Amino acid sequence: MRKFFSPFFKYNTYLLFVAYCCIALLFIKFQNDDMLTRLRTGGMETSAFITDKLQSYGYLLNLKDENERMMQLNTRLLSRVLTLESAVSDERHLQEIEREGAIKTAGFIAARVVDRKFSDRENMLLINVGRRDGIKKDMTVLVPEGLVGRVTAVSEHYSRVMPVIHTDFKVSVISGLSGSMGLLSWNGGREFIAQIEHIPISSTLKLNEEMVTTDFSTFAPRGIPVGRVVRIKPDKLFYSVDIRLSVDFSSLSEVLVAPLKIDPEKIEMMSDKSPNEELP
Amino acid sequence: MKRNIPFLIVLLGIIAMVQVFGLSRITILGVSPDIVTIFLALMAVLIGQKAGMSFGFLAGTITGLFSGNLGLHMLARTVEGFIAGFFHIPEQSHATARQKINRTYSAIVTAGFLANAISAAGYNPLGLSPLYRIVVLGALESLFTLILAIIANWLFLRKSLSD
Repeated sequence: MRKFFSPFFKYNTYLLFVAYCCIALLFIKFQNDDMLTRLRTGGMETSAFITDKLQSYGYLLNLKDENERMMQLNTRLLSRVLTLESAVSDERHLQEIEREGAIKTAGFIAARVVDRKFSDRENMLLINVGRRDGIKKDMTVLVPEGLVGRVTAVSEHYSRVMPVIHTDFKVSVISGLSGSMGLLSWNGGREFIAQIEHIPISSTLKLNEEMVTTDFSTFAPRGIPVGRVVRIKPDKLFYSVDIRLSVDFSSLSEVLVAPLKIDPEKIEMMSDKSPNEELP
Repeated sequence: MKRNIPFLIVLLGIIAMVQVFGLSRITILGVSPDIVTIFLALMAVLIGQKAGMSFGFLAGTITGLFSGNLGLHMLARTVEGFIAGFFHIPEQSHATARQKINRTYSAIVTAGFLANAISAAGYNPLGLSPLYRIVVLGALESLFTLILAIIANWLFLRKSLSD
């Protein structure tokens, strides 16, 4: 018996090898068997799962680079968004200006200067539009270059205009750059030079700054150009400022009359007696 | 090297996983080095042919399970362990570390080439010429595995082989 088994003990390595090979060959032979197919499928699924997880960890390891890439992308996108937002804002602003301009233009009345009385102390313009055309007293007269004056008297077909270069004419003006405010008047003399009063010494007004009408005026719409600062001379409390007027009065022939800008409540508040004061 | 079989089985599992999910994805000229071959050759040279063969069978089961070609992997790895076993150095021998290393390298090249030849003969997914697969790819893979084994020897195996 021992003799019978001795070759098995002697060649057990080869027998084991044959056994392993037989098992392997059986697996090859029955590799399409249902159970083996399921086993293979399970192995493949597990393999795919592990690979997926490993790739996820790889992604995590590369997260710093990815983060930097995303930051750069974000910066580019943010810049584009800001550009687009500013473009949209500008467009909206332009539309608003256009809309407001259209309304104003719609209310404007074109007129022709039919007569003028220019002298050293008194200057008057006569335009060919009157009450029939919707002109009222205190309407603003202007040209695209700037402010011309205000309507002081209206007849059926004509209106009289007090120009800026009139000693009684006064309008509140503001500098577009420094925001310095003052009161424009004309003291006679040269027709293209006017004066601005009540600009305090503390203001930062500089030469060549453009002055425009303010919202404080009871008749003129704000933003109408008036002129540019040509001289600034400090006095005790205020500057003495000369401006060169935007409008060339010597060649004025066509003008526009702006709609009347009168806020009764504002005028009432500015008057001596306000409604509240009248209450018992 | 101590014959701590459970530890070696766990180590084999880890090495097989590293091969399947790591090294097999690093391909040079279409082939990748095989860390399992190094392990099997080492086991066969240091412990014996039966151990090499059994570890080969187990390694083939693991790698085959994940690659979807169970039988072929089992066969190739078993043959690999068996062939590497012919380079076994008995524990009582007075072989130097250098001799052990040389034997291991020989086992890696021989067993690796034969295992690759079996795999190439049994599975040809790209439809390449069997001769090309056996000679070129098998030889290249054995060469890359040998280079990996030399690197591994420099880094980790010196102490194990000199014991």
